[in-house]
Amino acid sequence: MTTPDHQGRFQTLLDEHRKILYKVCNSYCRNRDDREDLAQEIIVQLWRSFGSFDERCRFSTWMYRIALNVAISFYRRESTRTRYVLSDNERVLEAADERAHAPHDLQVLYQFIDELDPLNKALALLYLDGNNYAEIAEVLGISATNVATKISRLKDKMKEDLSGTTQNK
Amino acid sequence: MENFQELDALKLKWAEQDRKLDLNIRLNRRLLLATNLNRVQSPLRRMAFFLGLEAAIGLVVAIVMGGFIYDNLGTARFVLPALALHIWVIANTAAAIRLMVGALQIDYDKPIATIQKQLEELRALRIRVTQWALLTGQLVWWMPFIIVALKGWFGVDVYRFVGVNFVVVNLLFGVAAIPLAIWLSGKFGERFGRTSFMRGLMRDLAGYNLNAATGFLAKISRFAEES
Repeated sequence: MTTPDHQGRFQTLLDEHRKILYKVCNSYCRNRDDREDLAQEIIVQLWRSFGSFDERCRFSTWMYRIALNVAISFYRRESTRTRYVLSDNERVLEAADERAHAPHDLQVLYQFIDELDPLNKALALLYLDGNNYAEIAEVLGISATNVATKISRLKDKMKEDLSGTTQNK
Repeated sequence: MENFQELDALKLKWAEQDRKLDLNIRLNRRLLLATNLNRVQSPLRRMAFFLGLEAAIGLVVAIVMGGFIYDNLGTARFVLPALALHIWVIANTAAAIRLMVGALQIDYDKPIATIQKQLEELRALRIRVTQWALLTGQLVWWMPFIIVALKGWFGVDVYRFVGVNFVVVNLLFGVAAIPLAIWLSGKFGERFGRTSFMRGLMRDLAGYNLNAATGFLAKISRFAEES
């Protein structure tokens, strides 16, 4: 299973979907080094599971599932974290800090996502990335009706939190 | 925020930002190629490996202990401490095997609610095992161990030097130390734990990590519930 072809295909798919990796890492880690550690941990897990990827679902759905599962457990882990690659100077995911240059309203949205618990963070990320309720349900393992209810609550919470912020100002 | 926008409106801006990402992020393929992904172990695999090692050592100790008990059958002062150690080792080995199997069963490409529930149950079990092993370990790995080890390795009878009363008082002191250890780890663990590993151990002992794990399990259940 680990032929150069197999590894090459994996890297091509990973490259095509690198935005998922970037967004998951950014949503679950604020610290740059933690983001790099998480990105590496996700890639290692994706590679380990790639052999069982049977294309019954889209690669992005499969990748979201693994990336979010790894990110949530990374976020919750109390022990030390591990860096896998040899180099300390290079990063596996090279990116400018998009967040710092984002418009103000998007920065408020990022802050709102930061304050969500890890499960609702996953829900918000999947919704904002344009997945439909059925796709979100497939990744999260809950029903589509439940997804719709939770999205509606998320919208209400956002309205409430941000209007609270306005009143306090 | 003066111009508050709904989540749906922000979704459009999110998509716009998303398009810029295509140009601004790059996967370091050269670094990935240089890294042998087959050789790196995920934290769960590493945990499973060490649990397997612990179980293997536990099995060897249990066999040796069984031999000691058999050799000293009829001498209660040696059989009782050996039996205490034997039961402790068997229980610990069984827990290690249970945790190892649980860790190997985690399949990250399953839905999030399912995997996070499995992971958190595993974490709660791991914390309970650590708590139990630390608190009862100081009982069996002190006097009972000294009695068995000196008799087994050197043929020395500890009771000739210390007497039964000394052993009993030692055990009672160990039992009394259990609530004290829980209290001390809760009170001073964060302050005096020098490494993150030690602080984690103190939090395990004090029950803080178990509370966090059961709290997150409840959160997962509420999240998965139809409402």
